[in-house]
Amino acid sequence: MKIETVAVIGAGVMGSGIAAQIANAGKQVLLLDIVPDGAENRNIIAESSIQKLLKAKPAALMHKRNAKNITAGNLEDNLNNLADVDWIIEVIIERLDLKQDLYKKIEAVRKPGSIVSSNTSTLPLAVLTAGMPNSFSDDFLITHFFNPPRYMRLLEIVTGPQTQQQTIDALSHFCDHQLGKGVVHCNDTPGFIANRIGAYWMQTAMLDTMRLGLSVDEADALSGKPMGIPKTGVFGLMDLVGIDLMPHVLDSMVNSLPKTDAFHEQAIIPDVVTNMIADGYTGRKGKGGFYRINKTGGKKVKESINLDTGEYATSVKPSLESLKPGIAKNLQKFLNFDDKGGEFAWSVLSKTLCYSAGLIPEIGDNIEAIDRSMKLGYNWVYGPFELIDKIGVDWFINKLEATQQSIPPLLAAAKGKSFYRFHDGQRQCLTLSGDYQTLTREDGILLLSDIKLHQQPVKKNASASLWDIGDGILCLEFHSKMNAIDPDILAMIYTAVDIIPNDYNALVLYNEGTNYSVGANIGLALFAANVAAWPQIEGMVKSGQDTYKSLKHAPFPVVGAPAGMALGGGCESLLHCDAIQAHAESYIGLVEVGVGLIPAWGGSKEILSRWMTNPKRPKGPMPAISKAFELISTATVSTSAQEAKGHLFMLPADGISMNRERLLFDAKAKALTLLDGYTPPEPLELTLPGQTARTALNLAVTSFVQSGKATAYDGVIADQLAMILSGGETDIDELHDEDDLLTLERKAFMALIKNEKTLNRVQHTLETGKPLRN
Amino acid sequence: MAIFKAPVDDTKYLINEFLDTSELNGNPMFDDMTPDLTDAIFEEAGNISESLLFPLNRSGDEQGCTWDDGSVTTPDGFKAAYDEMTASGWGNLTCQQEYGGQGLPHYVANAVDEMVIASNMSFSIYMGLTIGAYNAVNQFGSDTLKKTFLPNMVSGKWSGTMCLTEPHCGTDLGLIRTKAILSNDGSYNISGSKIFISAGEHDLTENILHLVLARTPDSPKGIKGISLFLVPKINLNTDGSLGNPNNVSCSGIEHKMGIKASSTCSMEFNESKGFLVGELNKGMKAMFIMMNGARIHVGIQGMALSHVSYCGAVDYAKERIQGRALKGPKHPEKAADPLIVHPDIRRMLLTMKAYTEGARALSTWLSFQLDVSHHADTEEQRQQANHLVSLLTPIFKSFLTDMGETVTSLGMQVYGGHGYIRENGMEQYLRDARICQIYEGANGIQALDLVGRKLPAHMGQYLRYFFHPLSQFIEENADNESVQMYIQPLSKSFTRLQNASLVIAQKGLSNPDEAGAAASEYLKLFGLVAMAYMWAQIAVQIKSDAGSMSEEFYDAKLKTSLFYMQRILPKTGALLSNIMSGSDNTMSLDAEQF
Repeated sequence: MKIETVAVIGAGVMGSGIAAQIANAGKQVLLLDIVPDGAENRNIIAESSIQKLLKAKPAALMHKRNAKNITAGNLEDNLNNLADVDWIIEVIIERLDLKQDLYKKIEAVRKPGSIVSSNTSTLPLAVLTAGMPNSFSDDFLITHFFNPPRYMRLLEIVTGPQTQQQTIDALSHFCDHQLGKGVVHCNDTPGFIANRIGAYWMQTAMLDTMRLGLSVDEADALSGKPMGIPKTGVFGLMDLVGIDLMPHVLDSMVNSLPKTDAFHEQAIIPDVVTNMIADGYTGRKGKGGFYRINKTGGKKVKESINLDTGEYATSVKPSLESLKPGIAKNLQKFLNFDDKGGEFAWSVLSKTLCYSAGLIPEIGDNIEAIDRSMKLGYNWVYGPFELIDKIGVDWFINKLEATQQSIPPLLAAAKGKSFYRFHDGQRQCLTLSGDYQTLTREDGILLLSDIKLHQQPVKKNASASLWDIGDGILCLEFHSKMNAIDPDILAMIYTAVDIIPNDYNALVLYNEGTNYSVGANIGLALFAANVAAWPQIEGMVKSGQDTYKSLKHAPFPVVGAPAGMALGGGCESLLHCDAIQAHAESYIGLVEVGVGLIPAWGGSKEILSRWMTNPKRPKGPMPAISKAFELISTATVSTSAQEAKGHLFMLPADGISMNRERLLFDAKAKALTLLDGYTPPEPLELTLPGQTARTALNLAVTSFVQSGKATAYDGVIADQLAMILSGGETDIDELHDEDDLLTLERKAFMALIKNEKTLNRVQHTLETGKPLRN
Repeated sequence: MAIFKAPVDDTKYLINEFLDTSELNGNPMFDDMTPDLTDAIFEEAGNISESLLFPLNRSGDEQGCTWDDGSVTTPDGFKAAYDEMTASGWGNLTCQQEYGGQGLPHYVANAVDEMVIASNMSFSIYMGLTIGAYNAVNQFGSDTLKKTFLPNMVSGKWSGTMCLTEPHCGTDLGLIRTKAILSNDGSYNISGSKIFISAGEHDLTENILHLVLARTPDSPKGIKGISLFLVPKINLNTDGSLGNPNNVSCSGIEHKMGIKASSTCSMEFNESKGFLVGELNKGMKAMFIMMNGARIHVGIQGMALSHVSYCGAVDYAKERIQGRALKGPKHPEKAADPLIVHPDIRRMLLTMKAYTEGARALSTWLSFQLDVSHHADTEEQRQQANHLVSLLTPIFKSFLTDMGETVTSLGMQVYGGHGYIRENGMEQYLRDARICQIYEGANGIQALDLVGRKLPAHMGQYLRYFFHPLSQFIEENADNESVQMYIQPLSKSFTRLQNASLVIAQKGLSNPDEAGAAASEYLKLFGLVAMAYMWAQIAVQIKSDAGSMSEEFYDAKLKTSLFYMQRILPKTGALLSNIMSGSDNTMSLDAEQF
């Protein structure tokens, strides 16, 4: 069965967020909520939710037009419309009576074989289906999304004994392929997997912070990078999720977990937190949380709460010995370190990891599912069992024994082993019996991290590697710091261009970093500029241009496969590909003007050519030139792959993968489709108007400068850009080939990098991560 | 015999013609610095150092300081000279007028300092340390401290010291043990031992103010727990008059290779009363300010000794007759030709001259940048100059003091055996110069400061303020045929410096040993290029628009500049090769293999 239409019932934050992601997948969604008493507009709740979606930050919709895929309605007038949909998701308030009333109404109208799911996070499936007809239970399951549904990749699915296998399969497939979720099948136990462990971990960390008298800054620094938890740390995370949720989550856990469960020991809400909630300090959505931004005095000052007094004070960078790089980077040293930080780390990690290990098989019998849940649902860098492997199973057991903590059976079974291993060419994980079971990937999932387990790279240098991903396709992986493009990456592109024609068929640019690439390594360029090494800098620019040009005209297809940010030089690498297969969450743009430069690795040329050769462009070159000028001079970054198509960073034929894990497979497939009869792109020739166009472009900028929306130096940069896009110093329409435009890019770049203001921008951005307006 | 002629002409030329002071135009302090005034200052400074201080130089060295039961006696004549120098205001040129100082800019005061040091380095140390102490108290001390102590420091009535080193720690000041315990009246009781304290005890002044690094009982470990205290030798009564001794004692003086007339003391503080200068635990910050000034001062010492050695060498080379010129007798009427006819003697003399005058130009320019960093109108200007001074300070200190050793050694060499005996005074300069490479941060430490701190700071930002003007200078003169003999060698060595900077920055990121092994040679390369920049500017300026000095003066400058470009600057090629060879050749030998 196929899912084409969906209804979401309940238009709150979660409901509308789920509806948005379904709309992002290009499916039609019916969003229903109740009719408020005496409402004139009976769809007012759903309609205003859709309005809010358009303004949500971070954006819930990948493109504004996706809002059109959502139809607002209400539960009185539109109930019958449920008869037309394939999947009905209930996202209403967590009250059993209301839910079951609704289910009865749904059951009366829905079409046979349609799927019904609840987004509950606290009510067991068994309770939800109690007393419901078999026909309902056959098609019912729990689909637990995480907030915000567009960005959080975990989807927990809980099925009952009656749920039909085909229902489970169809829904899993849809959520995986269309919604891009990492589906984890869970047992019907309280909090399922992620919240059971996550809530325990957060509570433990909070109570240990108070017990040891640490500041929230210290606790977050300790639980961030050193433990492999995102840099928000635990208090930052609670601010993000909403502190007022804690009592609800704890209540439901406490009420449903057996008295023997270790959760109860940690289920305490300290007075300071109760007071915070009462005073409206519920986190980022409220007046602030454990952290707040104090704007009095015109400056933004980050403050943290003192958990003893409840008073806020300016956040202080922690200076614990245990946070020194030599210690915090080595887990064993860190956990053994003799200060409050080491004590905290050991206490929180040992309890959390033992609790996790003790939940097998109760919440699931597969440790990989548990690790996956924590990574996808709580953004942990490592799951609990991966963490134990990193610490060392035996070391962990010994220390638990030494500190007289009890050892869960699964951990005892792991003694002398590790939870994961690579054996006979297979990834395997440990089971409760002490045996290993082989882990398999679903069809259509291809990961570089798997390939690396059993292959050596074809070529490798400090910043990039080439991997053979089968069927004659090579994958070029960046692995420099933040995947910044540097001379080593350029050299590896050359290597690929060199070896592929003889031994392979096509190339995919892809990596599994957080971001595809944040741009060229301008730290190198800045240093060279500071010592006035102008010929070397021009050489770097030329070498990037030559490399990307050789990629573009190579006698084989090249597919760019970005995920996350693809900025500046990273974006330029994509613009020189034959096709792009992007993860839906790709943020693409030419941001060079932010640091006082212009795209000079062929980026200005390529974006201009894309708009000039756009079949839909109006007559005359000016509209295309203006569009390219606007995109570059405002450093436009598309907020999704869908938006990137609108900017022509991606072309209509380029593909989008909703699921991050399917990106490489899809990109490879794309490359294979290009193989047959492949010819490299024709040499570029553009007719550009010269001076007149430049004058027109500058006119627009001048008004921005005069009105204070742009600085005078922004005007200088824009003029250099206008010089390239208009075709340089000519007064008549002149034919320009690729090299002419590259020469113009280079000239403009060199003029700008010699300017003190550009160097100050570059330096400021590298040091603070923020742009400098000078 | 050693002779001394103060470099008054060269100094006048550098200040009046070479130095571009337009950046501080309109600033009252600098507008007062007319050639009339500064020429008079330099002439008078030349006179007094030639007539008063130089005659005490060799006698002071022979006699040295004597220690007797805690008191130190300076050589004969020092006390009278000190009184005369301070009475006529030579000890407080840069001090603020509100405390009785002259309020002169650094580029004027440092030129005077060179003359004083050249004439008698040991003597100059007593006055120089007071200025270091003055700067620290003036910048960081409380108003009460300033009012209480600064006027008498400025007048020279009381002198100052810097007490850093302890028996077990010199370079690594984080290990300091001297204790400071808060007493009820807000002052501190200071206890501990300090060594190598210049001017720690002497008979020139009635009181001595020690600036002491110490730590309070619960201060953080290492460098972050160090505070700075002012500890007087004699306590003051409430009316400011001298009271009881403050339990500060000198337990001995060192017997040294050189600067024998400067007392180098071991000091004992025993619950001595001290006053906090600046913030608690921020002593190193204040100390760094003092040290930056002090490091420039030490660089000037290297240059000053080079100058006085050169004076003696030239005199001897013209007087002493020995052998005949290679191309035939120049003075057939005499029994032999003077030494100066011989190419190898000229090689030595020109090397001395090119280094010393190049250093003086560098010193003038750097001292002016120091003024800009304090007094320019905009924060941006001040900061840029400050970055430039920060970058160049370690180079200036090391390069000029290494040069001091080279040049004073050449000066002795010109004398042959007569240089090696004490009677002619030439070996004293070498002995005096040798300490400059060691104290105020050994030259190797300066090199590490350069590659470890200054080079990578803000991704090379400090470099910008040296490299960009230099690059622009080369570009501007690229088409000027008449100066290519100066510009091309400069340009070539500049490219070497650029390449070395890029390589060290890049390699140093992944392997700090690479930067460490290259550090000293990189500093030398940098120093050579910086000096070439000075010599090229001098040449370009003279070629385009010579000023009011004699034709002979300008001709000598051009020829010396060319000698520098052709016979000294090429060392940069070898230095670059050394740097490029990497750290393996230095680091691969096991410690046991030495």
